[in-house]
Order: sequence, then C-alpha cells, then structure tokens
Amino acid sequence: MPKVVFHHSGDAGTVVDADPGSNVMRAAVQNGVAGIVGECGGQAMCATCHVYVREPYLGALPPVSEDEEEMLDCTAAPRDDRRSRLGCQLTLGGDLEEVEVDVPEAQL
Amino acid sequence: MTVDTTEARPIPTADWVTIPDLYADPYPIYQRLRAQAPIHWIPAVNRHLVIGYEACHAIELDQQRFSADEAQSLMKRSMGHSMLRKDDPEHDAERKAYGGVLRPKAIKQRWEAVFDRNYATYAARLRAAGPGADLVAEFAAPYAAENLRAILGFANATQQDLQRWSQTLIDGTGNYADDPDVWAAAERSSREVDEAIDEMLPALRAAPDGSLLSVLGTSGMPLDALRANVKMTIGGGLNEPRDALATTVWALLSHPEQLASVRAADRWSDAFEESIRWIAPISMYPREATRDTELCGMAIPRGARLGVAVGAANRDPAVFTDPEAYDVDRPRKPHLAFGGGNHFCAGAWIARASVVTIALPRLFTRFPGLRLAPSRPATVGGWVFRGVLSLPVHWD
Repeated sequence: MPKVVFHHSGDAGTVVDADPGSNVMRAAVQNGVAGIVGECGGQAMCATCHVYVREPYLGALPPVSEDEEEMLDCTAAPRDDRRSRLGCQLTLGGDLEEVEVDVPEAQL
Repeated sequence: MTVDTTEARPIPTADWVTIPDLYADPYPIYQRLRAQAPIHWIPAVNRHLVIGYEACHAIELDQQRFSADEAQSLMKRSMGHSMLRKDDPEHDAERKAYGGVLRPKAIKQRWEAVFDRNYATYAARLRAAGPGADLVAEFAAPYAAENLRAILGFANATQQDLQRWSQTLIDGTGNYADDPDVWAAAERSSREVDEAIDEMLPALRAAPDGSLLSVLGTSGMPLDALRANVKMTIGGGLNEPRDALATTVWALLSHPEQLASVRAADRWSDAFEESIRWIAPISMYPREATRDTELCGMAIPRGARLGVAVGAANRDPAVFTDPEAYDVDRPRKPHLAFGGGNHFCAGAWIARASVVTIALPRLFTRFPGLRLAPSRPATVGGWVFRGVLSLPVHWD
C-alpha cells in the first residue's frame, strides 16, 4: 500500500497509508492531515494542496502539466522551483509507492 | 463516515422561517436554527436546509451520496441542463471543455487588459454620475457584465444584454412561486442567448479568439449542453463578481480602520476573501440525496432535496471566531463561498483578478475620500443570491 509522509515545520513526520491510484492531496484530506486544504477536489484549480517534495523523491514524480504549472504560480507560500508540486497531481502507486513532503506554512 | 441510519436523529422542522425574512436578513435565522441542529426541514423553501460548515463541506465532497443532478430542478428548466447540475464523469467532461479560458495564464495574457479597459470605461461613468452616485448601478454591475461579455465572446451583444439575460435566467432558477411572467422573461432571454450563440459560433470557428464560446465551439460539446453551460455561466458570472465587489467596498467603507490597514499594505485579497466569507454572493445551492443516509448524526431520506447553505456555513462559530463580524485580520481559514470539491467555482480566478487586482485598488486610489453617502444608506438583500443592492457613495 502506498504511503505518504507529511512533515510540518521540519518535524519527524506523520505517516499516512493511501490506496493505489489515490494522490497526495486525497491521502491528506481523508486522514485529516493539517495544512492541506484541497478546495477544488483535485482539478489543479485552487492551489491549496501545495507541498514541497523532499529531494530523494523528485526523480519519481510525474512531469508538471500546463495546468499545474500556472497554478504553482498562485500558491500562498513561496514556490520552490524544484520541490513545489500540487498534491492532487501526485498520483500514488507505480513509480511513487512512497513519498515524503513538507507542508507549507500557508495554503490560503 | 458512516452511512448507517439506525442511530441518527430526525431532522427538526422550522415552519417559522419565511422567504421574505430570509431575503431581508438570513443571518439571525441561521443563528436561531444553529442553536438547535445543523440541518432543518424548511417547508417555505421545500428543502432540508444544511447550515453547518462540517455538513456543507461533507456534501460538497461526496457526489455519490449527494447528487447535483436534482430532479424537478428550476435551473434546468430556466437554463437547460448545465454541468452545474451534473455529476462526474459527465460534469468533468464538460468542465474540461472550458480548457484554460478562465485560468490564471489566460487571465494574465488576455483578460487583465480587458478588465483594465473596462475599469477605465465604468470608472469614468461613475465619475460622470457625480458624488451621490450608486456604485452598484454605475460601476460594479456594468463592469462585471462587460468583463463577462468579453470572456464569453459575445461580440454581437452589449453589457446591458448580459445584465438582462443574467437576471431573468436567475429569476427563473429561483421561481419557486411559479410566476408565469418570470418564466416568460426567462424563456425570452433563453431564446435570445441561443440566437446569439448560433450567430457567433460560425464566425468564431473561422477566426478563434480565445473566448469561451470560441473554445466550446470547437470542443465537440453537443449544442444543448453548450447552450446550457453558456447560460449557467451568464447566470453565475455576473452577479457574483458584481456583488463581491460592491460588498467589499461597502464593508471597507463601513470599517474605516480596516480600510486603512488594507490600503497601507495592499491587502485587497484579504478584504475580498473576508467579504465573500461574510456575505457569500451565492449563499445556497441544491443537492439531492441518492440514498437513505446520515449526515452529522442526522437521518436524511433518499430523494431529499437539500439546500446547502454555504452563507450559513461561512458564519459557523465552530469554525470562525466572532463569525458575524467583518474582520480582515481573522486567521485565514477556507470559506465555502466558491463551493468545494468538483463544482469549485470555475470563475474563482476571474473574480479575484477583476475585483482584487484591478477594481478595488483603483477605486480606492483614484476616488480619493471615497465614503458612504451620509443620508442614503446602502441597501442589502437577497437569500440564494445576496449582496449590496445599492451603494450611494461620495468622494472628494
């Protein structure tokens, strides 16, 4: 079962199990992880599921789509050119059985 | 989340709630209802009214149990069957057909310049009307209408047409009294919109211009769905930026200390987001229960017509401290004014760009001393759609 580790302010992390085919945003919302809102339900429309992916996992991520790209310019916390992604676009399973992310200070 | 209904409480009836009282001021009614339960049966509106934040949010995220595709929908009769009354995957396919037209990249490349021009046009109109003018009629309404006309691509219509179409189609959507004159006006507008679409589509297919009609015209969307979606967008794309703009101006002018703080640090976004939390321009929308189920410990029968009162959820004291107050300094929490889940407002970024980026900062810099007219108070009204109806202002 895929798993996601959410770090808040550099803490040791909260581990969440997720269904294959789910995504980082959904895993957070379903498990009540603080700091991930996911207002638009996963359409890359609201930029409230912004995460910073930790370095070791960057190579396993899907490419950034055009919709995600423009939305990453609308995040409340500063964009990190390498690590910023929308959680809703990070589908779990396959190459991404496990991922660790830092949750930004703000989503709104 | 459980769907077992054996332990659930029955939903209380609130037969004292009337439509005129909701129109005048729904918030004291919500306070009284909230003390008792998060869901009530309201005979006057023939709906189970869901007023709690948690309950409204749960509905938004669960289209399996709570369908947008309501039977006997007045909106379907008034505007046709748009994506707003469909569930996924049908909704999703139509939403995708909107492409990038309403998204931030197109806003930057195309629409901001349009909003900029339209600001200049209608600010000049407001100025010409002189101190004492109604900011809603002279600025907010035509500005929102002309922006929408451009985004939709109706080169063959005027902003006045858009205002008339929008209001009459919305009146049909809210025609609970089944007034034949209201239906006649909605049907006339519906025909006019169909004719305008039919005239524009061939021209836009020959010379695409990035407008919504242009993009939908080549998307393969069937004509009935295209017409219904365009009417829904006319209904949902005009009142909301108009009301969000007017309500924000009214709130700031009524709270001078907050206005000073907003001006000092360009906090127009805070002012706007707090304003639509405080008075959500769309305060209620329908859903229908697909099965016997339970929500926040209350039993909901299959087929129940629900009214998701996001305007009430946005003032739920379980989520927002001192929720009745307009307070730009309150901690940012997600409000439900744009809806949530798959029906999250497609025009959210358009509203933010036209109101937050363009209109608010310019009005407050270019109309020095902007203030409420001392002897003529603003009027506020509406239930399903609520906002400032008139806003007489003075300036130096």
